Amino acid sequence: MEKLKRSLTAFIVPVLSILLAFAIGAVIMALLGASPVQALQYLLKGAFGSRANIGTTLSRATPLMFTALCACFAYKCGVFNLGGEGQFIIGSVAACYVALRSGITGPAAAILCLIAGALAGGLWGAVPGALKITRGQNEMIISIMLNYVATLFMGVVYTNWLRDASVPQTEAVPEATQLPRVVTGMRFTWALVIAVAVGLLLYYFLFWTSTGFKLRAVGFNMTASRFNGFPIKRYILTSFIVSGAIAGLGGAAELLGTQLRLINGFGAGYGFDGVAMALIGQLHPIATMLVAVFFAALRTGSTTMQAATGVPTSVSDIIQALVIVFSVAGMALVKLPEFEAFRLRVFGKRGRKEGVKA
Amino acid sequence: MEHISKRFGDFYANRDVDLSVARGEVHTLLGENGAGKSTLMNILIGLYQPTEGKIFLNGKEVRIESPSQAVALGIGMVYQHFMLVEAMTVFENIILGGRNSSGIFIDREARRKEILELSERYGLDVELDKLITEISVGAQQRVEILKALYHGAELLILDEPSAALTDIEVEGLFAIMRKLIGEGKSIIFISHKMREVLHISDRITILRAGQVVTTVDRAETDGQALASMMIGRELSGSHYEKRVSKDRPVVRLDRVDYDKASKHNGLNGVSLEVRQGEIVGIAGVDGNGQTQLAQLVTGVIAPQSGAISFDEKHVAVFDPSAFIESGVAHVPEDRNLQGLIGSMSVADNLVLKSTGTSAFSKWRGLLLKKNAIGDYSRKMAQRYDIRCTSVDQDVRSLSGGNQQKVILARELESDPSLLVAAHPTRGLDIGATRFVHDQMIAARDRGVGILLISADFDEILEMSDRILVIFEGQIMGEFSGENPPIEEISLAMTGR
Repeated sequence: MEKLKRSLTAFIVPVLSILLAFAIGAVIMALLGASPVQALQYLLKGAFGSRANIGTTLSRATPLMFTALCACFAYKCGVFNLGGEGQFIIGSVAACYVALRSGITGPAAAILCLIAGALAGGLWGAVPGALKITRGQNEMIISIMLNYVATLFMGVVYTNWLRDASVPQTEAVPEATQLPRVVTGMRFTWALVIAVAVGLLLYYFLFWTSTGFKLRAVGFNMTASRFNGFPIKRYILTSFIVSGAIAGLGGAAELLGTQLRLINGFGAGYGFDGVAMALIGQLHPIATMLVAVFFAALRTGSTTMQAATGVPTSVSDIIQALVIVFSVAGMALVKLPEFEAFRLRVFGKRGRKEGVKA
Repeated sequence: MEHISKRFGDFYANRDVDLSVARGEVHTLLGENGAGKSTLMNILIGLYQPTEGKIFLNGKEVRIESPSQAVALGIGMVYQHFMLVEAMTVFENIILGGRNSSGIFIDREARRKEILELSERYGLDVELDKLITEISVGAQQRVEILKALYHGAELLILDEPSAALTDIEVEGLFAIMRKLIGEGKSIIFISHKMREVLHISDRITILRAGQVVTTVDRAETDGQALASMMIGRELSGSHYEKRVSKDRPVVRLDRVDYDKASKHNGLNGVSLEVRQGEIVGIAGVDGNGQTQLAQLVTGVIAPQSGAISFDEKHVAVFDPSAFIESGVAHVPEDRNLQGLIGSMSVADNLVLKSTGTSAFSKWRGLLLKKNAIGDYSRKMAQRYDIRCTSVDQDVRSLSGGNQQKVILARELESDPSLLVAAHPTRGLDIGATRFVHDQMIAARDRGVGILLISADFDEILEMSDRILVIFEGQIMGEFSGENPPIEEISLAMTGR
């Protein structure tokens, strides 16, 4: 009963935010002279209207899932990893090196690439974590700065060391090493399967193991966790490393499955998208993955919408941004004591009785 | 102030309090923690409005509705924790929010002259152009006093002004206070320290449980009389049978120091032991090192010198987890911050430390047995009378008493050899307090050694088999829990 009530409140905020964002989006569409109903229909059709479209949506959701899970995991331990993008990029760079320079190809090489990506991402994530626990540095700032370092480093790689002839991009990953599609006719690859597996594993770890339980406790209240004997510094560092490894794995998988080469703009924006999605998903790994699919659907569908109705894709961007704004504001709202008072007034008796009992 | 009452809900923080301060006197407010001193002063400076009663200033009734109005009426307060902007200079702090601020520009030269005159007149020696961070704590206090005077204070309230000062600085402070009353100012002095109270006061008003016990002239009283009026109780006999334990000690502290220069947040050469099956009560006014003592004995902080041993074994690793493994349980002083994970459920908090055990998980913690956790929690909720709609409820939604029972259940069920309980019944109602006490006595009777740290003197008297008094980080004496000598103990608590 209590559990149900809690998950219900956790559910209502994002759903209401999405509805509100769509309502405002519809108004904008109407102002642009299009029929909102029609535009939304095409948006939906573009995202889920056919097997191919569903495949594209899932393919686009895959990297977002990785960075969202990366943000989610660190948040659960009470630290803020805003470096998902850098860890994603470093992961893809490491994978690219292994794919192009190790001399082996095929599935074994692919697995090696993924491991290299995860290791590199974990190492990149370890830096802000280690600086936080040993020097008390702000992990948000360090992890953001490392995003720039990673992006610029990738630039060196694709303009110099792994440059493809005279084009500022790397050579493509050999075909044998690429991650194949799971179903023919749909664009998503085994990268999606890996992402979903990681998400399920995180869910299991966080909610069904003793260590995951303690990690969440550290995330909620570090002081009490320390008083109760949990090694909080170790948890913080580990969560940063794991979080970075998830993003790094994502970068490797994206490279091997979809992008195939490093090029200017690779991975740009995924880190912060991931943070937003983790927040909307209330830091629940499975919900976070669904949110990633939702965002990918908005992005995929908007192209169809633009082609069919003339409503520009930027309206979809506006809707995405509004979802973020509303759900973050909504989550802050439900924590306000005024909101609790309002809830008690509206839902009168039941709430009040519980209040007394508590 | 006449017939002042202040009610919070059903609780009277002040009840029918009369207080009169004459021009040119140091009037001391003396009372235990929670006796209502702060509430009374907050009324006087306009932070609270009295529920009943009137305030007269120079014979005229006044209503003080805000601190700025209090300042305008010539009432200035120097808080125990100074209210200074650290990044600004002394001069800027003094004129901050000042009068005569006409227009945008500040006539610095005129202000400076005014301040220098004041500081000379009262012997308040300060360096105007230094930053607050660059000057000593004693100097910061002089800045606070100077600031109050600059803003026109005729009546100064000094809230535990000696708390942060060294002995020499305290002497300086007293000299300033004498100068001030010599110039016709009045001072309300709040302190716990008997020596200082006897030294500086002209008259003393004793508050107890929100009411005035009496007002006496300094000349007509002594420390013994004041202490017993402040504590104000006859020994009513404890509910519980006291014991003298001859068993082996579970914990021993040997000349432990921690930040000993600090009188209020440190320990200075503390030696004590707690034996199996006894409750050792640490009596003392809040902020005399109790927090540090509790954290030392639970491994949260490490001593700077001295030794701690459990069951005669020296402790080398100071870390809560090592202490927990040695059998130390802790009911911490701040249950929400230190004891509980508020956003987790009652059940989760009950098993917080033991999810890795085979009772609650399989394969060394790899799979939690949620049913077992649920069953256990419901059993605990019943055994410890934790009133909740469900054990899946967030623990933060429980009342303080029920939260404390969650902690108590978790700590006592860990089968500890030592329980460190810091202010275990603070903020609890009578029923919950009694329950917590009963559980602690039952644990004692099972052989648990208990270190009870409390600022509630009644609780110490009620529960302790032995009583140690702590003052400024030092143990002032040891007393029997059976027929404890209340007056001696209360004097020790004030540093005599």
